[in-house]
Amino acid sequence: MKRQVPILLAIAASLYPVIAFFFPARGINTFNQGLDEWMVIIASFALLLGIISMIQVNLAKVRRRAKGWIFSVLTLLAFAVMASFGIFGGQGETVLADGSTRLEPFTWVFQFMYSPLQSTMFSLLAFYVASASYRAFRVRNIEATLLLIGAVIIMIGRIPLGKLVFPFIPEVAEWIMKYPNAAAQRGVIIGAALGAAAMSIRVMVGIERPYLGKS
Amino acid sequence: MKWAQKLLLVDRRIIFLLVFLGALIPILSPIGLIVQVSPPVRAIFDRVERMQAGDAILLSFDYGPSDGPELDPMANAILRHCNKKGIKVLGISLFPLGGVDMAFARMADLTRDLGGQNGIDWVNLGYKDGGQAAMKLMGEDFTAVFPTDADGVPIEEIPLMQGIRNYGDLEMAISLATSVLGEWWINLVNAQFGIDVAVGSTAVSAPKYYAYVEAKQAIGVMGGMKGASEYEELVERAYPDLAGLSRTATVGMDVQSIVHLVIIFFIIFGNIMYVLTQRTRREGI
Repeated sequence: MKRQVPILLAIAASLYPVIAFFFPARGINTFNQGLDEWMVIIASFALLLGIISMIQVNLAKVRRRAKGWIFSVLTLLAFAVMASFGIFGGQGETVLADGSTRLEPFTWVFQFMYSPLQSTMFSLLAFYVASASYRAFRVRNIEATLLLIGAVIIMIGRIPLGKLVFPFIPEVAEWIMKYPNAAAQRGVIIGAALGAAAMSIRVMVGIERPYLGKS
Repeated sequence: MKWAQKLLLVDRRIIFLLVFLGALIPILSPIGLIVQVSPPVRAIFDRVERMQAGDAILLSFDYGPSDGPELDPMANAILRHCNKKGIKVLGISLFPLGGVDMAFARMADLTRDLGGQNGIDWVNLGYKDGGQAAMKLMGEDFTAVFPTDADGVPIEEIPLMQGIRNYGDLEMAISLATSVLGEWWINLVNAQFGIDVAVGSTAVSAPKYYAYVEAKQAIGVMGGMKGASEYEELVERAYPDLAGLSRTATVGMDVQSIVHLVIIFFIIFGNIMYVLTQRTRREGI
């Protein structure tokens, strides 16, 4: 029973939306909408699981005084502070009695600490991409040379300066994006979609049972 | 040629320094390069332009602060465009790492710049976990996913939400997306519910959306800062009274132009040195 019931539930829950999609009768759809609502609720619990797991992992590191445990303390502290601001304070702006506005603590920390830190991390990519491009784009063989030419055309074609120097370059860049790129992307997308469909069918018919765990 | 070998192994700090200068100089002294509009961006602009005053669109803030420099200008340009046309904007977020705050910030910009009113011109319904499940459920009923807006006001009490029950009551959905969320909007919302979908993405993600645009599954795509600057350009051309407002993406394109040139210079330079060292090796010098 411990195995059969979850398998039957998984088969029913996965097949039902497919049936509802192809036979959209009122009664069938009502229950299907209920399933969608459950999905949203279950996904929220997954977030909760993530939080619990993060706390457990970091607490264990602090207890063991593992390497870099101080960062775990900071992680837990930051989590506690932001969670408190989020739960006990509001978000956005508060209009004061004199008509001026004040940012809520959560939004203030987000706007003036989290946001600049994230932007800084992301902008560092420009430096690493420049360095990596210098070292990686080499005319070693025909394929690498084609890749290099394509990359340079796109890079020039995507900047306003490109049109000033070579008026035809933006059109060539757009052509590369529209045809060779779209064709290759389509192959990747269709391949991934077929893989996902095959995997879904295996779950639907009970061949694949990741939800049962290792046992 | 030992000098070519040496130059091939140029210190990465020199590259960093030149990239830094390439970014800094255009910020201090903007060049004002003219942006050329590409068809996928014009298609989005034209679709919004064809709408009537009182129509509504959904704008999903599916990104966090790290993608803000590329996607914030898109959000600002779209919100300004909708405001000028009298189009209502339903803001939501399906991205956990700050999407809802990005929405708050952009809508505050709109209120400051053009006086858009919360609940009348725009509404921020907040964040909901569950990605595809939330998207699917909104096709049935928005209140099932967002019973209140982000400030806790019940949907029924929001003037903008009167007469809006699901995607069928909207003209289009625009996702400003990082990760896979933009693809879900196309694969699920456009495919199952038939609503027009457009995507604004970071530059690195933009190429994959061309497949969907070419297949007519998405109206268009705005790729990175360039896409944002193109939309800014279109909005300003159509509504010259917005000329005084900030155009961060257009200014950013000056920076991008110079940094791209620095990178291209290093690629060409590196390859010349590489060819010279290879020839030396072959000739046994």
